[in-house]
Amino acid sequence: MVETFTPAVCGSRTRQRLAAALFAASALATAAALGALLGLAGATLGADRAVLAAAGLALLAAAREARLVRLPLPQSRRQVPERWRFELPLPVWASGYGAGLGAGFLTYQPVATFWVACAGALALARPLPAALCFALYGAGRALMLVWPRRRLGAAEAVERIAARRPALLRANVAGLAACAALLALAPTAEGARITSGLDPSTDRGPVALATQGGSVVVRRRGPDVHYQNASSPSIYRGLLAYVDSSGIRVVRWSDGKLIRRIKGAVSRPSLKWPLLAFRRDVSRTSRLVLRNLKTGRARQITKVSRSHDLGRPSLRRGRLAWHVTTRKISRIYYMRLSGRPRVLIQSRVALVRNPALSDRRLLWTVERSGRAYLRVRHLRTGSVRTIARIRGRKVGYWTTALGGKTAYVTRWSLPTGMATVYKHRF
Amino acid sequence: MRRPEQAIDRGAERLSAKLAESTTRRSFLGRLGAAALAVAGGSAVAAAVKPDEADAFHFCGHIWNTGSCPSPYPPLARIDRHGYPLHPKSGKRIDNLGRVVDSAGHALDGNGRRRRGPDGRVLPPAPRTRICEDWVRETHGKNDVRTQGSWFRCCGGQIRKLVDCCSFSRRRINGDASLVGYCWGGRRVYCVMYYDSGLDC
Repeated sequence: MVETFTPAVCGSRTRQRLAAALFAASALATAAALGALLGLAGATLGADRAVLAAAGLALLAAAREARLVRLPLPQSRRQVPERWRFELPLPVWASGYGAGLGAGFLTYQPVATFWVACAGALALARPLPAALCFALYGAGRALMLVWPRRRLGAAEAVERIAARRPALLRANVAGLAACAALLALAPTAEGARITSGLDPSTDRGPVALATQGGSVVVRRRGPDVHYQNASSPSIYRGLLAYVDSSGIRVVRWSDGKLIRRIKGAVSRPSLKWPLLAFRRDVSRTSRLVLRNLKTGRARQITKVSRSHDLGRPSLRRGRLAWHVTTRKISRIYYMRLSGRPRVLIQSRVALVRNPALSDRRLLWTVERSGRAYLRVRHLRTGSVRTIARIRGRKVGYWTTALGGKTAYVTRWSLPTGMATVYKHRF
Repeated sequence: MRRPEQAIDRGAERLSAKLAESTTRRSFLGRLGAAALAVAGGSAVAAAVKPDEADAFHFCGHIWNTGSCPSPYPPLARIDRHGYPLHPKSGKRIDNLGRVVDSAGHALDGNGRRRRGPDGRVLPPAPRTRICEDWVRETHGKNDVRTQGSWFRCCGGQIRKLVDCCSFSRRRINGDASLVGYCWGGRRVYCVMYYDSGLDC
């Protein structure tokens, strides 16, 4: 094919350059489009969970290239159609050749690397980065034509590379093995697993969470700090609020010194000293209360029937968010402490809940039949992003926490009840 | 021992009562069908509903090609008498997340016990809303949907009521032009659902 792009075949050196440019552009564009399609397909199919599968495929390909296993490759053992340059105008056949080679699967596959790249693009599940990566493949295809050479023709250059084939194959094996290792170690769209537990809370570094054994753990640089017979932690700087058998305790988490105590049927604290938001159950109602722990003044934010679910509030920088779920509708409420509550997100179909506030964003979970999403909204611009998703009816999302651009979410298994906290950077 | 025709007559009574009290009672065909049953008696049931399995588009009884309404178990939009979702196989009450629930809306496990969350507490109820009036409204932006017309087919040895979710939209859920079907008042079929009566046919 490289011998086609010569002044003799193209008609002049100018036409040769035009043909090469069109070939290169077409190869780049086609490869990028392929990458984008694969990334889009991966996002649609939820293939971001398949990163480990892509790593396995890379390892298998490395074994094939090292001749440890024998595997046929799906490919079309074809050259570019030679008759095109006789039957079609130069811009058409040059672009067509570029598109054919840029697509990758319409021609001979000397190694398995192309298919590993396809699997990687699917697992990446993001069209734009996948397009950029695949554009490099197209650029490689075009390189032999457009790379300037002083003495060698294009055909001779290709033959020189072919003579180095054994070394290239060894390098390819090493590259595939490295890809397998990197894919296996990469944090996936599932996020990085933190630890078993639930109800994460974070504030500028340390993360507090509850264990299913009935304790609260504060994780930081250095040894973890444990509080037994505790649940529902909320951490704010050096202070920790949690629920025990008699109510809510606010302690200095480094040494356990008791700062404040609230007794009674109270739960789900959210601490931002000196304010504490929590739920209080009274008779047939659940109430969201905001208390100033310094002055002792308390204010009821909202009240719902006990048959409804009043969720864990999130208190941050003069703002408060919480969810209320009924059998008819689920809602996330948001308010500035100086204002009135308003419904920010609601659904009669999905289950929207577990909000967590940061300085600029709101994080929450959306659950539908067979799918769950972790979404974040910029409070000023209103833009919404999905930063994680899971598929299946046996796993779901639970409580969340948000610190800057790091989201924490509890994932739990419906059959076993086991919970794990994951971290997602976005 | 009850004579077979008496059993059919009782079945017709129950069916006509269900027709009268269902949300399609204002349907012209529904009224006509109920009147016909009242006059002709139970033998009309066996005559009106074919004894063999109905042909299907994507579920038994659906002889046209309008797509199903959105549901917890797509593409099957099985509903109860009031339009709330049921599990397509077991017919049990389910919430919008597809979980089998009790009458209070609490999700149940395989042993019929209320499911507990990772914190050990019983899971709170999730929304359980009507397939046509709530799901289609929210997921497809159709604020004018109503459950209207219906027809009956024999499926799995029992009478299935196929129900139209109707809208003024000229496009149906498939994306192409909608049909009038059994809708009225200017509405057309947007998507379809079905209710299994349990009556023998």
